[in-house]
Amino acid sequence: MNKHIKTSISIALAAGFVAFLFGGWAIVVAGGIAGLGLGYYLFGQSKAQKWQDSIKEALLPTLITAVILLALSIFQNYYVAAAIGKKPIPFNTMLQANATGIGGLIFFSFALTLMHILPLRWQRIAQIVLLTFVVISFPFIDKFTGLRWTAQVIFALIFTILALGLNIVVGFAGLLDLGYAAFFAIGAYTTGILSSPQHGIFLNFWLVIWIAAGVAGIFGLILGAPTLPLRGDYLAIVTLGFGEIVPVLFKNLIKVTIQEPFTCWILPLFRIQTSCITFMQDVDLTAGEKGISPIGRPILPIIGEFQSNNPIPWYFLIIAIILLSVFLIQRLRDSRMGRAWMAIREDELAASQMGIDPVRTKLLAFAMGATFSGFAGAFYGAYVRGIFPSVFDFSVSIIVLCMVILGGLGNINGVIVGGMVIMSADRLFLPALKDFLAGLLKATILPALSSNPTLRAAVEQNANPILYRFLLFGLTLVIMMAVRPEGLIPSAQRKAELRSDEEIAADQAAAEAQA
Amino acid sequence: MEFFEARSITKTFGGLTAVNKVDFVIEKGMIASLIGPNGAGKTTFFNTITGIYPVTSGEMHFDGNSLIGKKSFDITALGIARTFQNIRLFANMSAIDNVLVGKHVRLHSTLIGQILHSPATMHEEATARAEALDMLEFVGLRRSDAETYAKNLPYGLQRRLEIARALATNPKLLLLDEPTAGMNPNETVDLTNFIKRLRSELGLTILLIEHHMRVVMTISDRVSVLDHGEKIAEGAPAEVQSNPQVIEAYLGKGKASKHHT
Ligand SMILES: Nc1ncnc2c1ncn2[C@@H]1O[C@H](COP(=O)(O)OP(=O)(O)OP(=O)(O)O)[C@@H](O)[C@H]1O
Ligand SMILES: [Mg+2]
Repeated sequence: MNKHIKTSISIALAAGFVAFLFGGWAIVVAGGIAGLGLGYYLFGQSKAQKWQDSIKEALLPTLITAVILLALSIFQNYYVAAAIGKKPIPFNTMLQANATGIGGLIFFSFALTLMHILPLRWQRIAQIVLLTFVVISFPFIDKFTGLRWTAQVIFALIFTILALGLNIVVGFAGLLDLGYAAFFAIGAYTTGILSSPQHGIFLNFWLVIWIAAGVAGIFGLILGAPTLPLRGDYLAIVTLGFGEIVPVLFKNLIKVTIQEPFTCWILPLFRIQTSCITFMQDVDLTAGEKGISPIGRPILPIIGEFQSNNPIPWYFLIIAIILLSVFLIQRLRDSRMGRAWMAIREDELAASQMGIDPVRTKLLAFAMGATFSGFAGAFYGAYVRGIFPSVFDFSVSIIVLCMVILGGLGNINGVIVGGMVIMSADRLFLPALKDFLAGLLKATILPALSSNPTLRAAVEQNANPILYRFLLFGLTLVIMMAVRPEGLIPSAQRKAELRSDEEIAADQAAAEAQA
Repeated sequence: MEFFEARSITKTFGGLTAVNKVDFVIEKGMIASLIGPNGAGKTTFFNTITGIYPVTSGEMHFDGNSLIGKKSFDITALGIARTFQNIRLFANMSAIDNVLVGKHVRLHSTLIGQILHSPATMHEEATARAEALDMLEFVGLRRSDAETYAKNLPYGLQRRLEIARALATNPKLLLLDEPTAGMNPNETVDLTNFIKRLRSELGLTILLIEHHMRVVMTISDRVSVLDHGEKIAEGAPAEVQSNPQVIEAYLGKGKASKHHT
C-alpha cells in the first residue's frame, strides 16, 4: 500500500509540474497522462479478482493524485500566474479545464486497473482500444484547448522512431553506436536531394521515404562493414567518428565533380589525349551551410498537400510510420535474426561457437537500425521543409541514446516512453520553464538588481534552462543509472540482468511456495 | 581418411607453447577422452578445433574437410559442437531460446520471410520450437523450465542445457569440456550415463575433457593424456592408468616413484 502511495505522489508531482508550468488547459493533458501512468502501474501491481477489488485498489492512489494535481493547478492559477506576469484564466474556464483533467485522470486510472480482471485476451484488446482512443483524440483535444503542442509532439515522435531504430543496435544486439545521427542525416539528405528545387528533382514523398530508408540502410552496411569486426569500446569510438564525419561531408559537398578515372586521370598520365568522360562537374549537391529547402511535402487525395499550419495530418502520418516501425521491429525481435542479435549481445564468443556469424549478424542489426532512421529523416525533411548540416550533430546521437537508456534498453514500449519523455522535456518543458523563470525573475529579483546592470544582465541571461539542456540530459542519465538502471519500462531480460541475485532467489522461493 | 584427424597441431601464445605438435585421431562413433593436469593445454586444443584460435602450425581434417583457416560458425555448420568448461549460456535468454540459437545454423528462413511471416518461415519456426522442446526433455529439463532464464536454472540443469544447445546445432562430433565439473557423485553418474545415451541414441562421436577419473575410465574407448601441451600417452583406459609417465605427470616426479614402491 505504501508503495502505491509513493508512486501516486511521484506521478502526481510530475503531472502537477506540467500543469503548474503551463497553467490553464494543460491540466487536461497532465491529468490524462497521470491517469495512464497511474493506471498502468496499478494494473501491473493489481491482485484483484473481482471488479469491486479493483475499484478499492485504485481508489486511494487516484484520490491522492487528483488532490495534488488539483491543488497545484489552483495554486498556479490564483497565486503563481499573477506573480510571473501571466493572466490567470477565468473561473469558468478553470472549472472546465480542471474538471476535464481530473475526469481524465479518474477515467484512465480506473479503466486500466479494472482491466486486470478481464481475461488475458480481452486485456490486450482493451489496452489497444484505450491507446487508440488516446492517440487519436490527442491532436483534437490539443486543438480545442489551444495548447498547440501537436507540432512539438511530432518532433518527439520523429525522435521516437530514431530511438526505436537505435534500440535494435544498442538494445537488441548490444552494440554501442555513438554516431547514429549520421543515418538520420543520410535519410534526410536523400529526401532533400530527391524532392527539392536543389536539383530540380521532385519525386513523390511516398516514394522518397522508402528510398531514404533504403539508402540509409545501405550506408549502414557500408559504414558497418569495416567497423563491426571491432569490439566494444573500439566500435563506440569509430561510430563516434562516423557521426562527426557525415554532417561535415554534407556541409562540404558543394562542388562535386565525378569523372571516369581511366580516361580522365590515368591516360593523361601517359600523355595520351582522350576526351574525358565527366559525370558531374562542380555540382552543388547539398547546398552546404545554407541547407536544402524547400523540400516537397506529402500529398493525399482528400487532404491535399500537407501544410505547416495544420499539424494534424503530419501527426497521423508519423503515428502511422511509428506503428509500421513497431510492427516490423517486433517481428524482427521475435525472429531467428532477433535471437541471433540477443545471443551476440549476451556472449559473442559462445554465439559464434553455436554457428552464428557475428559480423553478418551485427551488420544486419546496424543496417536495420539505419533503415528506421531513414524513415525518420525523410519525414523530418518534409515536415521542416528544409535541412541543414548543423541539425545532425553529435548531440542528436546522444539524445537518442539517452531515450533508449531512459526508456529501458531492449524494450520497445519503454523506448517509446523514453523518447516521448525526453523530447517533450526538451521541446515543451524547457521553453516553458524558461518563460516561467523569466517571468518570476522579472517580478521578483530583477527590479532589485537595477542598480547593478552587469549583474542584472548576467542573471537574466543565465536563468535560461535551455542553455543547460545537455547538463540536464546528463544529469537525468546519471540519476537514472543510479536509481533505476533498467530504465522506466525495462525489458524482462534487462530486468533479470540487473536485478540482484537475492531478489531472484526470493522470487524463486515465492514461486515454489505457491506451487 | 579418418573421421577427425589432427596432425602435429601447435598453438603458441607468445613464448608459451600451449599445444605442442599434437597428433589426434577420432574414429566415428567413438567416445575419446582427453585428460591431463591443469594448464596442460586441453581447452586450448578444443579451441583450435572449433576455430577460436588459429593454429600456429599443423593440419586438421573433419569429415573430409580441412578445418584450418575456417571460422567458428562454419566449423559448427560442418558438424562440430561444443560445451564450455565454465558454462557460457546466454544467461538472460530463456532455456528454449538458448536451444533455438543453437538451431540457427540449421534454419533457412530469410529476413523477408521472417518479417512477413511467410508460411515457410512459420512452419520452420514451429517445427524448430517443437524440436527444441523435445531436446530440452531429452537432456532432462522439464517443459515448464522452457521459459525460465538460463541464469535462473540450477547449476546441474545449466550444464545439461548447454549440452542441449550444442545438440541443437545437429553435430556429428560433440566436444565436452569437463561436463561433470562441480557436480556431486550422483549427478556425475547420471551424466555419465547420459553421455553414453548420446552415442547410442543419437549416434554421436564424442571427445571429452574430464578430471573425474571414474568417469573417464568407465565410458572412454580411448584416453589421451596431455602434459605441458604434449601428448604423452594414449591407449585403452586401463593401459593409460598404469602408464608411469602419466602417473608422473599427475603426481610429480618424486611422488611417482614412491607410488610404485
Ligand atoms: N588466450 C590465451 N592467452 C595466453 N595464454 C593462454 C590463453 N589460453 C590459454 N593459455 C595458456 O595455455 C596453457 C593451457 O591452458 P588450457 O586452458 O588449455 O589448459 P587446460 O588443460 O584446459 O587446463 P584446465 O584443466 O585447468 O582447464 C595455460 O598455461 C594457459 O595459461
Ligand atoms: Mg580447460
